[in-house]
Amino acid sequence: MFRRIFSIAANTFRETIRNKILYAILAFALFVIGMTFFLADLSVGDFARIIADVGLASIHIFGVIMAVFLGINLVSNEVDRKTIYIILSKPVRRFEFIFGKTFGLSVTLLLTTLAMATVLFLVHLSYRYGGRAEVGIFIASAGIYMELVLLTCLASLFSTFTTPVLSAIFTLSLFLVGHLTKYLYVLGEQSKAVGVRWGSRFLFYILPNLENFNWKNEVAYGGLKSFSILGWAAGYLVAYAACVLCLSCLLFARKDFK
Amino acid sequence: MMHERPILAIEGLSKSYPTGFWRKPVRVLSDLSCEVRENEIVGFLGPNGAGKTTTIKILNRLAFPDAGKVTLFGGRVRDGADVRRRIGFMPEQPYFYEYLTGGEFLRLCGQLCGMSPSKTESRSLELLAKVGLSMARGTAIRKYSKGMMQRLGLAQALLHDPELVILDEPMSGLDPMGRMEVRGIIRDLKAAGKTVFFSSHILSDVEALCDRVIMLHKGRKVAEGRVEELIGAETLYIELVVSPGLSADRLAAAEIPPEAGFAQGALLVLRAPDSGQANRWIAGLLREGCTVLSCVPVKKNLEEIFMERIENPSATGAAS
Ligand SMILES: Nc1ncnc2c1ncn2[C@@H]1O[C@H](COP(=O)(O)OP(=O)(O)OP(=O)(O)O)[C@@H](O)[C@H]1O
Ligand SMILES: [Mg+2]
Repeated sequence: MFRRIFSIAANTFRETIRNKILYAILAFALFVIGMTFFLADLSVGDFARIIADVGLASIHIFGVIMAVFLGINLVSNEVDRKTIYIILSKPVRRFEFIFGKTFGLSVTLLLTTLAMATVLFLVHLSYRYGGRAEVGIFIASAGIYMELVLLTCLASLFSTFTTPVLSAIFTLSLFLVGHLTKYLYVLGEQSKAVGVRWGSRFLFYILPNLENFNWKNEVAYGGLKSFSILGWAAGYLVAYAACVLCLSCLLFARKDFK
Repeated sequence: MMHERPILAIEGLSKSYPTGFWRKPVRVLSDLSCEVRENEIVGFLGPNGAGKTTTIKILNRLAFPDAGKVTLFGGRVRDGADVRRRIGFMPEQPYFYEYLTGGEFLRLCGQLCGMSPSKTESRSLELLAKVGLSMARGTAIRKYSKGMMQRLGLAQALLHDPELVILDEPMSGLDPMGRMEVRGIIRDLKAAGKTVFFSSHILSDVEALCDRVIMLHKGRKVAEGRVEELIGAETLYIELVVSPGLSADRLAAAEIPPEAGFAQGALLVLRAPDSGQANRWIAGLLREGCTVLSCVPVKKNLEEIFMERIENPSATGAAS
């Protein structure tokens, strides 16, 4: 089982790194991150702030673009191109296929995130008014990466039952909502109606809370207080991703292919 | 060795596809039952849209039936991965990962089938040679032609040395040489004790290769049986070749209507409707001093039987 998942993951990794559009997005992202080098000259104030606001935000945004772009096509491409016929006619179970595809893409995203973080790290290191090795960039990027993995799982969930365009819309909506669930909860609690309060609590717990992976500000303003936040986020990621993947497998298990 | 239970048994298979939100679903397969026995080559025939591909997809669990049951290997093998490992499948118009080379794709298939890397390597070399793709091993599949894809599809289906090989239109898109090669490969499979079930539109191939055929029309079985039985059941006419050719009055003297014959060079060809008539004609011809060079019953070919059964499916003489 693990060998087959690994083979599918390795093949997915190979597929994504041979994707020219991914390289285009990555090249553009690295260019933008590299440009923060000059941005520091233009702005007044604290350089750390620039990293937080522009550098990490770029990694975040471009990472999301890559995750969504690759994630929505992850399963639907194979179904449309009928390559899945041959894979599933081998002794491969459908859940192994879903897990393998998702793991493969996660590895690709790990590399792209690492590449972007490294460039930002180098920009910071070579900053002409006193550069230094800011490890916090990698810590913040780890959070971004966890978020990307979760978005990948969501995108592939949608792509098991709907078109790429709709999958992209759903995933991006969840991305936006996922950063705002806190406000949803707060607003809900202010309501006088019991139904609204319970409804908003329900949504708060069921929707992905992507702010759990966001410690950009802590990193930018003097570092993380404790690393337990990372562990907590990783646990949340594993639990939530497992639920999403299981749901995908369930939806995929008895699907008829055209 | 003959097993009492067939290697593939289909019972009462039905399948509908939804057509739209309000309209009623379209029936693609209705109560299809048939079987494939060990070490047979079985042809699966039917016009476009008959439901062949749908049936084959169900066999490979790419689609699920509304009703009915598929039993593979007589239920002897635990369902799931073990069954899949014993089946080779080539889809209709196979499509592969374009970013891989032929060799890389077969390596992936070997991994998924749980084969060792060295076994995969030797098998893929052997099979690529067999399907005539040795030179394209390192070429990206993106650059393959249609026929090359078809050949690679056959190679991946046979890679893990399956007992049952299911092929959806293995000859389509191949040049005459390729068709000959595929025929040879299918025969070799039978010789090696394997079972082959394939769909095709090329009836001459089916006639030449298959032990039995199953004919499908609009999702229903219209005929099933051994090729000889389906063909043998119906004799069109008996053809006599006579030398030398006869003039019209000598034909009349032999009690043969002139419209029954035509000249072919120096010879006369006669078509007798049945064997009694043929014998009476032969007697007359001998009296007239002619030599009967040959006397052959001409049977319908598969093509004619196919057309007939489709036009008149009620005459389902499922000889089996
Ligand atoms: N996914 C689908 N959704 C709706 N209808 C379908 C679907 N797949 C097949 N059909 C219908 O089912 C019928 C049978 O299709 P199938 O592909 O099994 O035919 P076939 O016998 O393989 O034909 P061909 O010789 O052209 O390959 C057709 O009428 C087709 O329109
Ligand atoms: Mg077909």
